[in-house]
Amino acid sequence: MSFNKVKEFIEEGDVIILYLGHNNMHSLEIKAKIPNKNGEMVDNVFQTKYGALKVFSLVGHKYGTKKKLSRGWAYVLQPTPELWTLTVPHRTQIIYSPDISLILHLMDLVPGSIVIETGTGSGSLSHALIRVIRPHGHLFTFDFHEQRVNIAQAEFEKHGLSKFVSSSCKDVCIEGFGKELETKADAIFLDLPHPWLAIDYAVSTLKKSGGKLCSFSPCIEQVQRTCAKLISKGFIELNTYECLQREVHVQYKNLPILNLECLQYENVDKDMAQESENEKQEVKLLTAMHARSLPGHTGFITIATLPPFHVRKMEINLKSKD
Amino acid sequence: MCENEDDIITVGKYVIIKKQNFKKIYKVATNGILTLGRDTVQMHEIIGKTFWTTFEMIPVKKGKRTYFLKEVLETESLNDLLSELPSGNDNRTIVDDGTSQKLSKEEILRLQESGKTGKEIVGSLIENNKSFLDRTEYSQEKYLKKKEQKYLRYITIWKPNISLLHDVYFQLDHNKIGNLRMDSLSQLLSYSDVQSDGLYILYDSGSHGMPAAAMLNRIGANTEGHLINLHPGNVPQLALVNAMNFPREQLDRLINVNIYSFLRLYYQGESAVLDKISKKVHNNCINKIKENESKNDDESLVNNEISQIEETDMKEGNLNNINESNDKVEHSTNGSLKRKRDESDTHEAVKVTVVKKPKWLMETQYAVELVKGSKARGLVIVAKEHPLNIVTALLPFLGFSRPFAIYHAHREPLQETYMMLKQKQNVINLRLLSNFLRSYQVLPDRTHPDILTSDTGGYLLSGYLVQ
Ligand SMILES: C[S@@+](CC[C@H](N)C(=O)[O-])C[C@H]1O[C@@H](n2cnc3c(N)ncnc32)[C@H](O)[C@@H]1O
Repeated sequence: MSFNKVKEFIEEGDVIILYLGHNNMHSLEIKAKIPNKNGEMVDNVFQTKYGALKVFSLVGHKYGTKKKLSRGWAYVLQPTPELWTLTVPHRTQIIYSPDISLILHLMDLVPGSIVIETGTGSGSLSHALIRVIRPHGHLFTFDFHEQRVNIAQAEFEKHGLSKFVSSSCKDVCIEGFGKELETKADAIFLDLPHPWLAIDYAVSTLKKSGGKLCSFSPCIEQVQRTCAKLISKGFIELNTYECLQREVHVQYKNLPILNLECLQYENVDKDMAQESENEKQEVKLLTAMHARSLPGHTGFITIATLPPFHVRKMEINLKSKD
Repeated sequence: MCENEDDIITVGKYVIIKKQNFKKIYKVATNGILTLGRDTVQMHEIIGKTFWTTFEMIPVKKGKRTYFLKEVLETESLNDLLSELPSGNDNRTIVDDGTSQKLSKEEILRLQESGKTGKEIVGSLIENNKSFLDRTEYSQEKYLKKKEQKYLRYITIWKPNISLLHDVYFQLDHNKIGNLRMDSLSQLLSYSDVQSDGLYILYDSGSHGMPAAAMLNRIGANTEGHLINLHPGNVPQLALVNAMNFPREQLDRLINVNIYSFLRLYYQGESAVLDKISKKVHNNCINKIKENESKNDDESLVNNEISQIEETDMKEGNLNNINESNDKVEHSTNGSLKRKRDESDTHEAVKVTVVKKPKWLMETQYAVELVKGSKARGLVIVAKEHPLNIVTALLPFLGFSRPFAIYHAHREPLQETYMMLKQKQNVINLRLLSNFLRSYQVLPDRTHPDILTSDTGGYLLSGYLVQ
């Protein structure tokens, strides 16, 4: 129950983020016992490079404070969708925060929005979607992989979010989003291998007053087919983006200064070049450097607008006249 | 069709005017006039219509560039001109000697003023263009797109939302919103964890209210969240907050406060703030700056506070309204808060007899009450100044385990802030970020990144506060 409200102290059943370092974070559930490989219940102990952590001993501990370990310490944080994305157990490829942020912005989501997502995958995007549409809105998320649906659902429950989300197992490219959702959605998000196959259903599922469709695809061919389909169905204002986030590493560096000017003059006493070799001059500088490698490609984000019903018809009329 | 009141264009609402690829923000007025380049448009026709309605601009008089609007159900498109022509060639015979258009500038202007439709004009342009038939099909299409932009006179009215408003400002003048590109803006919202409940603090030194509008939008209507918008100037920049047509109830949970007044009131109490003002008013604003306070700080503060007083005096009628609505919010969120404030009101009324309690002071008090009542759930700083002192001053109001995000157009100030924060050891997961964003032209067999891309996304510094 740790996603839906700010908490001061850790309680049994919470999901927490154990922060050991920049790229060393883990999500843990605060339970006394967990099943081992053989299905027997054993003490919930988490091994870190700073020593073992008896997870249940965190009950009563304050969020945002240090926890002593035998060879160091860790911080305990309350999860946010961003921290969850960094620690979620991967069942599939997931979408990361830079793309997620842009997707939420482009879909114009607000508290109260009704949004559809497919496929659920590992639920990385789902958590960010739920954050935006709470408390009056709702997320309907679909995946045709039953186990993924069940795991995601269990996570939503543990995180205190089940009120805001319904997940179901469905092949949306064949069955669509269901009769109950017709003309109900403000926005539809597709992360599918064949997004264009879901677009006919999307048209009847978006509200009569119109809405947004956003599709995330790693390959440009998928984007092309999706855009062609979107245009043929009366979507307008199509845009496709790619966003890469780069981390800048900040460091103090000592830079040696060479004394080369002295070489222009004859030197009476001794070789100045030799001397500067001995007593090197240095300057301390705050420097910034990009990472040696970065994810150079994640996916293309396509956004499109479906106009309200009465305007949509007008455009179809024009088409048929041609 | 739409029966929802929100979908009707009414006087006082902000709307977005779209003419081909051009967008503009417009506030609906009874006899409003809109200028679009050299054209003047009488706008009253849009009142009472629904959003998404399209209008044709019709000249009031032949030869004049003043137009009235007429609702249309169908728009003409230049694309059918293409289908009437033999399809394109390749361009081996085109020589650009500037003579391909046989019509002179004057002749084109005369065509325009004769009241011919855009389609007719472009038709004549094509007829008189020697090389049009020699162009590739693709280049013919491009030609028509350009002419469409110039000669077709349709406008469509859209309802503002954050992505549209951002787009309008970023295209027109991205400096006005501090070069805050949409990817940076969207990440500020994520990394500050802003959502429907909780208290959020924003410092913004002037982006026409872009971050405040975007955060208040995420806080939502009929929710519990509050946003304290701290600014360094006389009045907060709220252009984009206004353009969102937020309901009163939601706007009341945006508390705009001068950062100096806020911190002084929080640390020194009301008398310090009031003393400061009355002293300065008597000194007639000519001020000897005390050594222990930085010059800028003091000067701008005094000017602010005085001009705020004048402003309130002028709008005394408004004051009551605002008080009322403020009280309403407090009722719904925290009954005891209101009582406390009523007591202090009467108490102060006795003490302060000369200076009537101005609106800005009420707002500042409200902000201070909010931060005393709860720690902030997220902190955002969008600064033109050096962010270090700002974040140092505001971190104490943030809850432990809670995130903050700082935006700056330049990397160096964030670099220094990064180092200083790192050394203090009360923040973790500090990350200095910059983004690369590009958009694509997607067409059958002609997909490629757009030729022009914005390379000024600015920098973000994000992290979590710990104890
Ligand atoms: C890349 S994953 C989505 C990851 C998710 N966006 C996240 O951030 O965690 C794609 C998912 O789509 C599901 N999927 C593929 N085709 C589908 C279909 N036709 N109907 C429903 N789900 C489908 C797959 O089972 C897979 O879990």
